[in-house]
Amino acid sequence: MVMSTINAPAINGSHYPDWEGRYYHIDQVLDRPGPRTDPDSFMAGEGVKNFLRNQCKVLVIGAGGLGCEILANLALSGFKDIHVIDMDTIDISNLNRQFLFRPKDVGQPKAIAAAEYIMKRVPGVKVTPYHGKIQDKDDDYYMQFNLVICGLDSVEARRWINATLVNLVDPENPESLKPLIDGGTEGFKGQARVILPTVTSCYECSLDMLNKPTTFPICTIANTPRLPEHCIEWASVLEWPRVKGETKIDTDDPEHIKWLCDAARARAEEFKIEGVTWSLTQGVVKNIIPAIASTNAIIAGMLYHLVNSCIHCSLASCCNEAFKIATSSAAYLNNYFMVIGTESVYSYTFEHEKRADCPVCGGESLDISIPGSWTVERLIEMLVEKQDIQIKKPSLSTTKKHIYFQAPPQLEAATRPNLEKKVSELVPDGGDVTVTATTLPFSLSLRITYT
Amino acid sequence: MSFNESQSQDIEGATTAIQSQPDSKTRRYDRQLRLWAATGQSALESARVLVIGASATATSILKNLVLPGIGHFTLLDHATVSPADAGNNFFLQGTTSIGRNRAEEAVRLLSELNDNVDACADTRNIADVLASDPSYFLGFSLIITHNLSPVLLTRLADLLWENPSSTPLIPVRSAGFLADFFVQFHTHEIIESHSETSPSLRIDKPFPALLQAARALDFDTMDSTDHGHIPYVYLLVRTLDDWKATHNGLPPQTHADKQNFKSILAAQKRTPDQENFEEAIAQAYRAWTPTVVRPHLVELFNDVTLPSTPFGHLLAALRSFSERPPHVLPLSATLPDMKSDTESYVRLQNLYRAQAAEEREQFRALLPVPLENELVELFVKNAHGVQLLRGARYGALDTAPAKLIMYLDNLTRETATHLALSALDAWRSSPSRQNGGPTDSELREHVLTLIPGTELGKKEFSDAFGEIVRAPAADLPNVAAFLGGMVAQESIKMITKQYIPINGYCVVDLVDTWTGVLES
Ligand SMILES: [Zn+2]
Repeated sequence: MVMSTINAPAINGSHYPDWEGRYYHIDQVLDRPGPRTDPDSFMAGEGVKNFLRNQCKVLVIGAGGLGCEILANLALSGFKDIHVIDMDTIDISNLNRQFLFRPKDVGQPKAIAAAEYIMKRVPGVKVTPYHGKIQDKDDDYYMQFNLVICGLDSVEARRWINATLVNLVDPENPESLKPLIDGGTEGFKGQARVILPTVTSCYECSLDMLNKPTTFPICTIANTPRLPEHCIEWASVLEWPRVKGETKIDTDDPEHIKWLCDAARARAEEFKIEGVTWSLTQGVVKNIIPAIASTNAIIAGMLYHLVNSCIHCSLASCCNEAFKIATSSAAYLNNYFMVIGTESVYSYTFEHEKRADCPVCGGESLDISIPGSWTVERLIEMLVEKQDIQIKKPSLSTTKKHIYFQAPPQLEAATRPNLEKKVSELVPDGGDVTVTATTLPFSLSLRITYT
Repeated sequence: MSFNESQSQDIEGATTAIQSQPDSKTRRYDRQLRLWAATGQSALESARVLVIGASATATSILKNLVLPGIGHFTLLDHATVSPADAGNNFFLQGTTSIGRNRAEEAVRLLSELNDNVDACADTRNIADVLASDPSYFLGFSLIITHNLSPVLLTRLADLLWENPSSTPLIPVRSAGFLADFFVQFHTHEIIESHSETSPSLRIDKPFPALLQAARALDFDTMDSTDHGHIPYVYLLVRTLDDWKATHNGLPPQTHADKQNFKSILAAQKRTPDQENFEEAIAQAYRAWTPTVVRPHLVELFNDVTLPSTPFGHLLAALRSFSERPPHVLPLSATLPDMKSDTESYVRLQNLYRAQAAEEREQFRALLPVPLENELVELFVKNAHGVQLLRGARYGALDTAPAKLIMYLDNLTRETATHLALSALDAWRSSPSRQNGGPTDSELREHVLTLIPGTELGKKEFSDAFGEIVRAPAADLPNVAAFLGGMVAQESIKMITKQYIPINGYCVVDLVDTWTGVLES
């Protein structure tokens, strides 16, 4: 291994003398390989330690339940240059698991509070916070990191960062390949995975594995409610806009929740349905997912483990200026870890495979077959609902013409009449349709056939 | 189970009080109350947990118990903070903590996480406490150790096992990327297992009121709206009743029968995509899947020594109940959502509720001793998932070579890793040990004392031994985080008596990223 090429000076301003014995524990596994260590990608000794402690720059997206855990793990493991992005502020309901925050921090930006806490607790580490959206940052920003770790609860944000990192890949430049390590939890269950953009399956490839969000048919909500949830949906989807007009629901405003809860209770009483409570109302309108510290800790432990494997591979590939090592490493083989702790403990690891028709990393068009009688509106409805597509507010076009555009308003108005038309009048059998959405930094190519 | 279903299952317990924003404690714990409710939370708040050794792993476990609000914890450790401790433990303050007592430093920083938790640092030496004050340990509701020396651990485990109060014990061992932990208890009673299997709707054995209501429907006079809103439960009950009348009282048996049954359902549709009939066809298996007592309950019922606790009495009554025809458990009042108009659904729900209430009274009459209403209701509601786990003594597996060899055949990597950790323990307490760590051959030698004459040529052994030789004393931050989460989860399950804890060893390997269980 060519180790002499990596000898950069310490990061500006954050140089701190590591005390003797500080890394006694972690050095045991950095100094020598184990029996299963991949000899091509393992870099033992001073080279890897220097890289990790003085050179490696890591981005953590999300300073919530997973983010807090992963920040602490990175800091303790010797990473000195950590960046963290989060657009949220601290809520009291975060305190049961987001252990870098205290009651006095409620209302403060998560990224800033987390960064300050880590720097106070772990000497010598520099954590640079950004309180804002990941979409605020450009390619140059993401290019500066060696890897990106993602602990987000938003599907949209994960799709965005995934597509951004895939777009960043330049086959001529090994450093453009940024491993993306992603995790999520729900109650006693969690999952962690590593994505090597363009090489392994990406987040978009596995969209169909997500739990389908609970939705209730509008006719049930409007006419035949049976569950307390139906009454709550009625209150938020139908009754609120009817009474409050343009005012949007703020799910963090207790007055709003109270209004919805009261409205839902009145409806439930009318229909003799039991069980509308404050907690259920809040759960339904905010789509609350149960969360505890212990599951976050398990997944963060896994995420860091994946970081460690990636560091070895990307370091080895940088030293040899070769894509090959990073992309052939065993670290990416079993790229998906899941754990379920409700009944004893069950976990498994598997290789999630790339989808050839993945709109982000696949390159091939997605074949869909629809009845010839379908209108454009019906096709759009399908694109919103279909588990492996899930594009909110899609705009559609062919190479020749606009089919329907959500924005700007003039274009929307001009293309609106097409909603009523049959798709088959606008697109020939076997023809291609390009789907875009403002929230997604990629377009989806559909090849449409008619049944 | 989807989130929505779990929410709906709580309907029965919902209050009808005027709703207003919950207090700040409820808001703080909102995300976990959705998992274990107020009953689980109050169990946590009454718990007293003792953790022995303030390692990185131990403080990670504690962090995940302090955050959800356990009542009290004591951290017992006489050691002072070393430079290595200050480097890998988030609950020590860098170099300023070096030289101070480990328990006191960690307790100070752990306490910051939650003001509601009562915390105590005990700076005595565990060896002295075991010798002079063994009753000290009996005052806790759960004890957790990390890498405690095997001699002391065995003494502690025996003390707890032999005492009738039998405080559960979770010994955790880790070295580098390998770890295992065990949950020691005599018996563990679970009413709220949060089973993912939903209780039977008894389509195959409809209670009289249900059959009557299904038969009373007059499909022919219904308009298309009403016809499109008949709950599938009625459709199945009625179609099955008709079927039985022409098939010697038997439900569909063969594959052809089942297809036939589905076509009969389909033939009753008025429009091709009538949703309630589609649901009935999708749920048709309920017509030929007999409602029986689940095997784990049958096994429990055959257990002649049911404990003489309220839970044991409840189980005894459940056994008596299921011994009478129609050999089922008391009916659950929980009805899943289905295509229906409100009125029909509410009427059907009321049928189930009335029958469930009646069967609950029959159940109550079978109790050997009277028990409080709330407990009986909770038990009956969860009857299909109740569990009584019988645990084992810590270390029993290592003195059972036949069992080890059997495990070695089926769960090779788990058993090899467990044995490698046991060998490391043995090496640590051997008088001839050298400084540093054990060699591969020393570890093999120790394993052979547990399973004499066994061939240790399998790759799983060299994999495990190699990792131990590589990092015998490493408490890695991410492994500590991982174990901190796993052990805290098991602790929460033990304390709340909800969900199902591990019964045996959980073995962890973060080289190849797997976990496995060696059951007691
Ligand atoms: Zn992809």
